[in-house]
Formats: sequence, C-alpha cells, structure tokens
Amino acid sequence: MPSAVAALYFDGVSARAHAATIELDGDALHVHAEGVARREPLSTLRLSEPMGSAPRLITFADGAHVEVRDHAALALLLDASGHRDRATVRWAFDARVVLGAVAALILIVWLGARYGLPWAAGMAAPHVPQAVVAGMSQQALELLDDRLLAPSKLDEARQQRLRSALAARSALPHTLLFRSGGSVGANAFALPDGSLIVTDQLVALADDDEQVLAVLMHELGHVERMHGMRMVLQGSAVALFMTWYAGDVSSLLAMAPTVLLQSGYSRNMELEADAYAAHALRSQGRSPALLADMLERLARAHGAREDGTAAGWLSSHPDSAQRIERLRRGDFAAD
Amino acid sequence: MNNPFESEVAAQPPADPFGPSGAPHAEALIFSGRGAEYFGIWIVNLLLSIVTLGIYSAWAKVRRLQYFHRHTTLGGAAFDYHGDPRAILKGRVIGVILLVAYNLSFEFSPVLGIAVAIVLAAVMPMLLMRSLKFRARNTSWRGLRFAFDGDEKGAYAVFLMWPLLSVVTLYLLAPMWHQRMKRYQLDNTRFGTTRFHLDVPVSAFYKIYGVLFLLFLTGFLVLGTAMIGLIVLSGGGPESLSMLPILLMLGWLAVLMLVQPYLLARLQNVVWNNTQLGPHRFESRARARTLYAITLTNLIAIVCTFGLFMPFAAIRLARYRIESVTMISAGPLDDFVAGQSPDVAATGEEAADLFDVDIAL
Repeated sequence: MPSAVAALYFDGVSARAHAATIELDGDALHVHAEGVARREPLSTLRLSEPMGSAPRLITFADGAHVEVRDHAALALLLDASGHRDRATVRWAFDARVVLGAVAALILIVWLGARYGLPWAAGMAAPHVPQAVVAGMSQQALELLDDRLLAPSKLDEARQQRLRSALAARSALPHTLLFRSGGSVGANAFALPDGSLIVTDQLVALADDDEQVLAVLMHELGHVERMHGMRMVLQGSAVALFMTWYAGDVSSLLAMAPTVLLQSGYSRNMELEADAYAAHALRSQGRSPALLADMLERLARAHGAREDGTAAGWLSSHPDSAQRIERLRRGDFAAD
Repeated sequence: MNNPFESEVAAQPPADPFGPSGAPHAEALIFSGRGAEYFGIWIVNLLLSIVTLGIYSAWAKVRRLQYFHRHTTLGGAAFDYHGDPRAILKGRVIGVILLVAYNLSFEFSPVLGIAVAIVLAAVMPMLLMRSLKFRARNTSWRGLRFAFDGDEKGAYAVFLMWPLLSVVTLYLLAPMWHQRMKRYQLDNTRFGTTRFHLDVPVSAFYKIYGVLFLLFLTGFLVLGTAMIGLIVLSGGGPESLSMLPILLMLGWLAVLMLVQPYLLARLQNVVWNNTQLGPHRFESRARARTLYAITLTNLIAIVCTFGLFMPFAAIRLARYRIESVTMISAGPLDDFVAGQSPDVAATGEEAADLFDVDIAL
C-alpha cells in the first residue's frame, strides 16, 4: 500500500490552493485537506499525461483537481492503481523509442524525397486542370521575358521553317517561341503547357535546323513527361509541409527548400527527356548523336565563359559528358 | 502565420494571478521545460503526424501546448491546456481548404479568385474570434479557466476594417491597427470573473514601428549594396543571375532576422507592462539583444542539425520570453473566482463542439 502523496487541491470555483494529501483506497482516491475530504472512484477521474518534471493534474468530474509534483510518490500510487499512461506519451520519454523515431524519420524523409514525392507528383501531374497549367506557364513566360530574355532577332523565314519542321515531326501540342538569350546565352526552355522557347544564340550555335530540332525533341520530352508540372507540385508539397510544420519554431526556414528544389530538373528527368528525344529522332530516321553534338557545343559555349567550371545550361543539365556518351552509344532501354 | 496572437498566447499562456500572501509582491513566471525532454515529445509527434498524413497533428498540438503550459508555473501552480484535438483537427481541415481554395482560384480565373478572396475576408474575422475564444477557454490556472468575450463587431473592426484602413493609408495606420487589435484581445479576456485591461497609448506602437522601419531600411540598404557588389564582382554573367533567387531569399531571411526579435521583445514589453488583471499588474523585461542572440544561435543550430534542434530552440525561446514576465500582485491571488456557473459552462462546451474551431494559419 503506497503512502499518502503531497498535493495541492483546487476546488474549481476559486483560485485558493489547499495543501492536501492523496491516498489510494481500493477503487477510489482519497483527498484530504483542511476542510476538504473527498473520496472519488478512480473511474471518474482524469489524469493528465506525464510531461517530465511538470506537475500532473488529477481532475474530478465537477472541475476540482489536485496538482501533484512529487513524481516518485505518485508513480508508486499509480502503479498500485493499475493505471497505465497512453503509449504515445510513454514513447516520448523512452530513450530507445526516441532514437528509433529519429532513425525512422530520417528514413521516411529520405524515402519520401527519393521515391514518394516524385511518384505522387507524377500521379497528380496529369490531373492538374488545363487552365492551371496554362496560367502557370503564362506567368513563367512573362517572368522569363521580364528578367532574362529579349525579343528575337532571328529572321522570320528561319523561324517559320523551324516551326513547320517541328510541327511535322511532333504530334504533341506545342508552341515554338524565339527569344534572344541575353545573359542566359544559348538555351532552350520547355513550359508545362507545351511552349518551347529557343534562344537565337542556340540557333546560331547549331550547324543546321536538324541540330536545333534535336534539342527541341529533348525539350518536348520534358513536356510529354510533364516534368515542369511535376517539379512545381513537388516544390509546393514541400513548401506546404514546411509552412505547416515550421509553425513550431519559425516560418523563416520554410522558404529555403522550396527555392532549392525548384532550381532545375532532376538528373532523372534529364535522362528521361534524352531517352524521349533519342526515341523520337530514331523514329524520324535521324541519329540521337545530333543531340549529343548539341549538348557538347552547349557545354563548351557555357563552360568557355568561366575557367572550366560547369555553369548555366550545364549545371542545370548535370553529367553532360555521361549523357553525351549515352546518346552516342544509343543505349536507352526501349520505352 | 506571424499573427501576433499566436506568438503571444502560445508561447506565453495568458496571464495569471495569485500568490500566497496578501501583501503586494512580485510573483515570477517560471518555466521548467527542458529541450532534451521536449525532444521526445516533438519527434514522436512529428513521426506520428507524418505516418497519419497530418491527422495526428491535432493531437500533437495538444500535447505540445500541454507541455509548454504545464511547465509554466506562477505562484506555485502550473497552467494547463484543455483543447480538444478533434476541434483542432476541424480547424486545420477548414484552414487547409481555405488556403487551397484561395491559392488555386486565381489560377482558374481572376473573377473566381476575387470572389474567394472576398468570402475569405468576410469569414476570417469570425474564425479568428472563435480561435481566440477557443484558446482562452482551454487555458486554465489553479482550476479556473480563462475566457474571451470579444464580439463580432469588434472582430470585424480589428480583423477587417483596420487592416483595410492601414493598407489604404500605405500602412501609416498599421501601428494603430496593432494597438486596437491588442486591446480587442486583452480587454475581452478574463480569468474567472476578473478582467484584463490594456491601457496603452498609440504612440508606444508608433515608436516601435518607427524603429522597425529604420531597421528595415538599414537592412535593405546594406543587403542591396552587398548583393549588387556580389553580382558585379562575379562578372554579372548568367551564373550570378541564376543565384539571384537564392540570394534574395537569404537576404529576406536576414532582414526578417533583423526585425523579428526586436518586434517580439518590444511588443511583449509594451503589452504586458500596460496590462492589468483586476488590481494586479505585470512587468515584462524582454531585451531585444538577448532575443537576437537566442534567435540567431537557434537558427544556426537548426540549420546545422537539419532541423533536429527545433525542439531545443522552441524551449530556449519560450523560457526567455516567459521568464522575463513578472506579475505584480496587489493582494491575495486566492480571491479569483470562476466566471460561469456549471450549467452555462456546459452549454458553452456544446457550442464549442458545434462551432468552435481553432485556427492557426
């Protein structure tokens, strides 16, 4: 039989504290204080969860409660009463479970980032309403025009020739746009709605239209696989999660990962787009090496700016050498 | 997100009465939470929330608030939190729906977007008022509940009219709005039957925001110069431009870092130093520079530990903010009495189940 436990009794009507003792008596709890003697069945009481050194409150049905700070004595009393705390709160104070939780969390974050999120984004991307896709692409184009691109100086005849050549070869709905690259130089972009943007500098870098078309096939690969929309969905999911959770400490940190995640396609996406382009080029009776040549030129054009460091097109298109090699060998699993 | 209520009330359970003796004396708020202890709660909460796709987060929030409330002691007794996780879950679902509707509607059509924005503006004050009621009623000390009696009229004034007014005046009226908001919050809060009263001149808020504006300006000038310098130094090529969004983000972070601790400290002081609970007063001596040190070291540690320091950071911040407040009681704190008869309380609970939501957007 555990001994009496020191506590403070509050009647729920006034803020007066009564020094009290509590005692177990069969199926009931005894509360003794000056002018107070209560005997309440255990089943009518509510015990607050353990929270380390914080006092625990035992609340009666009528709103009165006792506040206990002597945890060792209370533990004896609770043991004797057969009370067991909820598992979720016992875990929180069990070192092994906490370590396990850290490990599980790291695993979940890794699995989620590596497989879960891309998979979910891939599933969701086709279901994004057309109006949303169009609106987002429009905004992205305005942003590009505003910050990075200038009107094209390419002559109209060449533009028209490339447009009809591409239209003849791709069944995928698309719009081909020409811009002057300015600071981004030789470059090509694909927007989720099928807008393809080619810079004059990229056209100048190519020997002929075939090479430009090879790059456009790669960009069409991004469109066909909805890479843009998938990146946006992944970024938004991460941002949503972070803003929801970071409320715990600071919302400042919420923004950083979004930015990092949205800075370019993943390596896998580039490989997918390469595979799409290689497949398309072959079915048009042309060689995937056309794209490889252009990749090489782009890498050189951008690399030449700085001393050997990969930058611009290259940095957002990782492992160029490896990709070039792959395109030349043509070793793409048929897909 | 940075709703001033959220930080004030969550980090620091509304005020508190009471001391053993009858003579006027200072009664310190004591915070006994420890980072290592809270870490367990935090990690289990996080894991269960992820595994249940966010549903458990409501239960997690209750446990988190319980931890902070019950580790806050005044006059020998701890605070307690009684929120019902189901009400919080309901609030979160509504919040997510509103957020998604708001963000998506503009993508469909501007007309729909504006319609949703108007509906949101009309509903928001009600939700915020309900959330204040929920939070106050679910906080207790010495067995007595806090309560919030603010009405709809006041809610629409401080959560709709004043924001619009301050936007129209290019934020010249923003400090005034903030003062009205704090007054609406505190003047309508009571502990048992005893009312809080905030008596603070608008000029105090203008002073804080004036310094804040200068801080902002200085921050922007310094950062802007640094950024332009960086871009010029790196040759202004496409590489430096592609770094621009990240630089801007870091810059924004730095400016927020500069502004937030100052606002937090000054606001806490100006509000509590001018608040009365019946005959009792409060004293808050939070120092901006200490908060700077805490926030900065927290941020560094959080980044270095990939977020695992978050629970320790929360405890450090809460300890400083809570322990910088002292209650100056004018007499015995035993005199507080419960505000409502049990019958009224019961109907109140029912209403809570039907209408009450706890929103923390």
